[in-house]
Amino acid sequence: MSEKKVHEDQKYVEGLLNNNSFIIQAIYDKFVPKVVNYIKQNSGDADQAQDIIQETIVTIYNQAKEKGLELTCPFDAYFFLLCKRKWLNALKKNKNKEVTINEEVLSKDDDAHELAFETELFDEKQALFNEMFQKLGKACKDLIKATFKINSMEEVAASLGVTYGYARKKKSLCIGQLTKLVQESPKFNQLNY
Amino acid sequence: MEDQDYILFDNYINNELSEDEISAFEERMDKDLVFANSFNLYLETTIFLQNSIRNEDETNDFKKNLETISKDYFSQDKVKSTTSVETKTKPFTLVKYLVAACIALLFGVFAFNQFGGEPSYSDFNSHEPMTIVRGNVKDLIQATKAFNNKEYEKANILLKNVLENDPDNSELQLYYAITNIELDNFKVADKELNKLINGASAYKDRALWYSALSRLKQKNIDATIVLLKQITEEADDYKEAQKLLDKLE
Repeated sequence: MSEKKVHEDQKYVEGLLNNNSFIIQAIYDKFVPKVVNYIKQNSGDADQAQDIIQETIVTIYNQAKEKGLELTCPFDAYFFLLCKRKWLNALKKNKNKEVTINEEVLSKDDDAHELAFETELFDEKQALFNEMFQKLGKACKDLIKATFKINSMEEVAASLGVTYGYARKKKSLCIGQLTKLVQESPKFNQLNY
Repeated sequence: MEDQDYILFDNYINNELSEDEISAFEERMDKDLVFANSFNLYLETTIFLQNSIRNEDETNDFKKNLETISKDYFSQDKVKSTTSVETKTKPFTLVKYLVAACIALLFGVFAFNQFGGEPSYSDFNSHEPMTIVRGNVKDLIQATKAFNNKEYEKANILLKNVLENDPDNSELQLYYAITNIELDNFKVADKELNKLINGASAYKDRALWYSALSRLKQKNIDATIVLLKQITEEADDYKEAQKLLDKLE
């Protein structure tokens, strides 16, 4: 077991989890200028920075919500690294553009690197699951959504006008189909499975 | 995997198999790597669906709020027109000063709570997140989620249930004890921790640490110190224990 103590900046993560506008505003005021500056110095503009920052905050929120993210480093270092890597990935996708990378503001914080890596992995897995979920047929999607929204399979079956036995069996097969789609995706093997 | 495997996975996750079927399932998990990997992915997929669909409304509310704050922030001329943070001058208005003062005050309170005065239990209760172990999977997933979300009351009930079927699982005993400390059920917590301290499991040392934290929360400083001093250098929590000892002595 690790000895790492949760950093006091965990308050930002908790604030995001509670959808606390004060904290979100504080993140923008304190940490966003550095990211905007970095993106502008590396072939980007304010609009692109706005998107990257928003996506990064949603990723942090999701990870906190679903995996109980615990910060072991300053929020600043973690947040900056995530935004930076997201921006570099976006640049790589758009190869036609001439890119200048200014690496002066690199973080040297190991914990931040490790945490940012975990968050990225989480984000990529989520994206893969989401992408493959969209590929399922409508019947499967509807059944899965109803199953996890309603919680009682009897009610799910009734709402979809099918028998309980059919709904149960179909649910397993739909999730099975989703795992197959995920497994067959070329991205699957890149994600440390 | 065949259709019947997916049905089996689902029945296992929902705890709908007989004891014999569970034994056969777990035996196959140990022997058949492809089967085990498929099950793990099935479980991960289920957890993903559970989280993303159940939290959909809350996540959408969060995104809307974020969008508003983001738009507001980026609509300010300072972001559009400057290229460098260093060269930027912030046009502060009185209202902004007040907002900044409020935020500063808020953080001041946070900081004071965390570091001011005597050490307290809340300075040290950053628990190692629970990870799923084998056993009654359905309740365990719920318990893990509840514990990691700091919903200790819920985690406490679920862990108690799981422990009834698996009373010798020391990892579960430890997490059950932690939820009891969080809920101020000190008698139960201390009893569970004593069992671990006197046992031979891998959680012996950690139980000592939590036993000390329990006494700290009960403001029994002498007992806290006695317990902290028993934590050996090899223990994961040694550093933290020393830090707390320094503050207490």
